[in-house]
Amino acid sequence: MRKTSKPRVLATVASLVLVFGAQQAFADETCMSAYMPKITGQEDYVYVWTVGAEGVGDGSDKLVTIDTNSKSPTYGKVISSVSVGGRHEAHHGGFTDDRRYLWMGGLDDSPIFVFDVATDPAKPKLVKTIDSFTKDSGGVVGPHTFFALPGRMLISGLSNANDKGGKSALVEYNNNGEYVQTVWLPDDAPYGYDVRVQPRLNRMLTSSFTGWDNYMTEFGKVVSNSEAMKHFGHTMIVWDAHARKPIQVLEVPGAPLEIRWALQPRHNYAFTSTALTSKLWLIEQQPDGTFKASAVADIGDPKKTPLPVDISLSADDRYLFVDSFMDGTVRVFDVSDPHKPKVIDEQKIGSQVNMVSQTWDGERVYFTSSLLANWDKTGKDNEQFLKAYRWDGKKLTPLFAVDFTKEGLGRPHHMHFGQNQFYKNQIYGGAGTRRSEVARAE
Amino acid sequence: MRRLIAAVAGVALLVGSAGATESARPAHPPVGAADTSYTYTVGPFVAEYEAPPPGTYALPVIERLDDHPLVDSAGTTTTLAALKGGRLAVVAFVYTTCSEATGCPLAEAIMQRLDRRLADDAALARRVRLLTISFDPSRDTPARMAAIRAAFGPQTDWAFLTTASETDLTPILTDFGQPVAKLNYEDGTWTGLYRHVLKVFLLDEQNRVRNIYSTGLLNPDLVMNDLRTLAADPPGGKQ
Repeated sequence: MRKTSKPRVLATVASLVLVFGAQQAFADETCMSAYMPKITGQEDYVYVWTVGAEGVGDGSDKLVTIDTNSKSPTYGKVISSVSVGGRHEAHHGGFTDDRRYLWMGGLDDSPIFVFDVATDPAKPKLVKTIDSFTKDSGGVVGPHTFFALPGRMLISGLSNANDKGGKSALVEYNNNGEYVQTVWLPDDAPYGYDVRVQPRLNRMLTSSFTGWDNYMTEFGKVVSNSEAMKHFGHTMIVWDAHARKPIQVLEVPGAPLEIRWALQPRHNYAFTSTALTSKLWLIEQQPDGTFKASAVADIGDPKKTPLPVDISLSADDRYLFVDSFMDGTVRVFDVSDPHKPKVIDEQKIGSQVNMVSQTWDGERVYFTSSLLANWDKTGKDNEQFLKAYRWDGKKLTPLFAVDFTKEGLGRPHHMHFGQNQFYKNQIYGGAGTRRSEVARAE
Repeated sequence: MRRLIAAVAGVALLVGSAGATESARPAHPPVGAADTSYTYTVGPFVAEYEAPPPGTYALPVIERLDDHPLVDSAGTTTTLAALKGGRLAVVAFVYTTCSEATGCPLAEAIMQRLDRRLADDAALARRVRLLTISFDPSRDTPARMAAIRAAFGPQTDWAFLTTASETDLTPILTDFGQPVAKLNYEDGTWTGLYRHVLKVFLLDEQNRVRNIYSTGLLNPDLVMNDLRTLAADPPGGKQ
């Protein structure tokens, strides 16, 4: 600021007023909430929400921190592990809008664990446990996606306490961990899974999976039970994000899972993949403002049920990484033309693979192996790992791998990035304890 | 728009003059834009939607606020509750020497838009206070806040506030959940800049937060409709 001349400040501010925002040169991870600041440049840490496995280490769910800075002496090593006690089917999580706290959920008994990652990014600390999610929300089970809204957390549920089926809801808490509201999904599309908002369009998309009774049952038993197989989601809902009101129900058969909104301006579309039908879907806004869902590509050979799971879209909306669990393979699609995705690379990551996370610059891509404790492969195929790769636009090259079984950690699942520089020289106004926490402690 | 830019130009001049007074500081490398700003989205944010009509949606209570001491631009000690009375409020936290792209200047430009919109709706304006609160008490004195206020030329009841000290400020930031941090050079010297996830808060008549807007994603149409939604609530609000 001291170096900025008056005319430059004036010009900058005037242009801001005209465009209502600012061009950002760099950012980071590509699927995070647009309401949350991104870290830029090299990530120093990857935080891995890990499902406890019987006979592996302490057997508990834990948040594992791995050093990802190649200049560090502990590069590629586990540098911290925080057990939460017990197994809760650790699954997904997300940062608060200020990125200071990481909320992580369990799909079985529905706890939410809140970690402070700002005080020491190398050593996240468990600072709060919300064990009243089902009670607070009026019966929602299985907190899945944690999507930061300003000052609060939007959480999609997978199930309900009434019948443990797929009917579920969106639940909100404020950043202090105080319950705000529950919005049940409509009766004609009651199943939940992911939730993502595109603020520019005031549109929110939700996808649909299955209830507790299926995701906590062994995969083989679910697949062989024709009645159970009827209870998977086949819809996506387009919402007015601000009003939290459903506008459209789109038919997307075969359990549409992760939702990735395109990031570039004027790209008014999102992708999802369907687990059971192995297709890539484009959900695109039409000239009249409504949305249309179309299957735009097969993922592998759908007849072999490769079971597509996580997807990751590059910041330039060019590459879409698609993991499929059964063949342990990632396929990289060129989605420059979102209507005609083309596979440009295909690589086997392991005997099984689930989550994929890439950095904003798209140069590093991380994979983890676990899907659900009861759905992971068994025996020698039950490889549990985090693997890091470099992506050069054509192929993936291995950087390092961590064997989560050998390290006594468990089944690695959701990944989030941390960075020292992001928190450097920052002192939080509240210096830690917030009013509601004081009240609860008393 | 012309009036808006003129007012912002006035603020820019003040920013410039504030910067000049800091030239005596020991030499440090310049602080780049990336050091002060956060990245939210790709490209500029332009709201490409029509805000949902007032009264067609709920605004649940997000959190309840305590009362806090503040100092107005005349130097008078007051409190948040006293300033608001039983009115609705839109509260923006800023520091007046901020030049961050999606930070304070944008928040203030949007506050000014709200001020002008409210000026065109006298019935609503009577029920709303706009509050700009500085989180830089050492430099944003009441006199400076008065100068900023004059530059923006409020047409409605828009107050420019500061606090007596950081001791008074900290509980306010904590209560609102407004992270603010001084950005230091590596030797620990303050750059004079803050990093902050800037938020704008919508308060109901009972000092409860009913919505929070990220500055870089803020749409004045949406805030106006939220104000109208709350104004149409029966006394005491729905929750």
